Amino acid sequence: MKECLGEEILQAYFDGELTGERMEAAALHLAGCRTCSASLRELESEADLLFSALAPEFEAPVPTERLQRRINAAITGLQVVSPARHVSISTWRDWLASLLTLTPQRTFGYAGLAVVLAFAVIFAMTYRRSNSPVATTQQILGKAPVNVRPSPVDQQKQTDNSSPADHDSAVAHAPKKLKPIRRNRTNTTPLPSNPVVAENEVKLLPGERSYLKTIAALDNTINSEKRTMRPALQAEYERNLALVDRAIAATRSAAKRNPNDPDAADFMFAAYQSKVDLLNTIADARVYNRPR
Amino acid sequence: MNGQASAFVDSMPNEIATAATPLSFDEAFTLHHRAVFRTARSVVRDSGLAEDVTQEVFLRLYRNLDSTPGEELLRAWLLRVTLNVARNTLRGQSRSIARDSEYQKKTDEAWFASAPEEDYERRVALEEARVALDKIKEPMRSCLLLKQQGLSYREIATALCLKETNVGSLIARGRKEFARVYGKIGGRR
Repeated sequence: MKECLGEEILQAYFDGELTGERMEAAALHLAGCRTCSASLRELESEADLLFSALAPEFEAPVPTERLQRRINAAITGLQVVSPARHVSISTWRDWLASLLTLTPQRTFGYAGLAVVLAFAVIFAMTYRRSNSPVATTQQILGKAPVNVRPSPVDQQKQTDNSSPADHDSAVAHAPKKLKPIRRNRTNTTPLPSNPVVAENEVKLLPGERSYLKTIAALDNTINSEKRTMRPALQAEYERNLALVDRAIAATRSAAKRNPNDPDAADFMFAAYQSKVDLLNTIADARVYNRPR
Repeated sequence: MNGQASAFVDSMPNEIATAATPLSFDEAFTLHHRAVFRTARSVVRDSGLAEDVTQEVFLRLYRNLDSTPGEELLRAWLLRVTLNVARNTLRGQSRSIARDSEYQKKTDEAWFASAPEEDYERRVALEEARVALDKIKEPMRSCLLLKQQGLSYREIATALCLKETNVGSLIARGRKEFARVYGKIGGRR
């Protein structure tokens, strides 16, 4: 018979901790060894005693929920680096979350707010339409004469300048090409030179101011004539004027949108020049046809 | 049969054989908080202190979640930390325990007097078991406590920093010692 099993082997056998071969060998030995079998029975009874004695220690209830709360709170405490920031974020979250909760009163409130917003949008659109580019240009044109203060020097220059033929050779582009306007032989046409101009409410594009002044002056000239135009001429004049104004408005808004595009500015100046030409034509016609 | 079993084990994927999959913190808490709390209470002998110990153990787990062992040995790691924290707590508490021993005695007497008979017997048995357990030296005592909770020899060796081959012997000696002392105290053999 083989040597009897040691206490650690017997314990491991009892606890099921022996590997396959050692377990088989131990079982084989126990089957034929009374001493070891008696030791195993003693071990079993002691283990039972130990287990039942320690059972109350490990059977007492575990406060799982309280432990979880405590540990979560402690972990939250670990995570909080700047408590104030977290509080403010959570406060904002709570506030936003509370906004999303619909109660009957809040629903009425939101509906009222929606109506007010709708009215505000309609009003804004109406206001914007009334301030459309055409109106803006007209506003500019209407305001410009107020700002014009003719200087005597310019009036003198205008009287010196007197060839109607030059008018036809007018080139329509830059402000420096505004000479045809000066050829207005009407002494009443004041052309500004270094005028004291208050800043208009409407922001002017570079080079635009001189055109506006010229147009205002021509407008004054035309309006100063007491005579009324022939109805057909008047209608055509107004139609052409509206057409040119629309062109100015369109090109002006394009130039404003693309401040770095020289072509856009050129188109605008061309439109202005067309208006200047139209006004010049009308002014010339009225001056030449003036009854003596 | 044996050859078949080893062939089956060899055919298993490595990840299953090693079982080193890390657990999430919540999973670890759900699986092991009872073992941690009970082990702590078996050392500090007070539910409130055991809660403190459990909280500290899981905070340490939270801080070291990346460096803790996988699922297979996580319980052993947790219980090792538990035993250390619980012993430290006891050392810190020793003065106050000595100071409050008189008060504790009165409280225990009051509790014993008011408890139902069944609870009273249970309480007496628990106290006797604790006294017997206190007579057993370390690491045998811890071996018995961990074995009681179903830990394997490998886990016990990991938790107590022992050689796995020594665990069986320690349990056997501890069990014998406990039976002797407990028999003397309660005469229950």
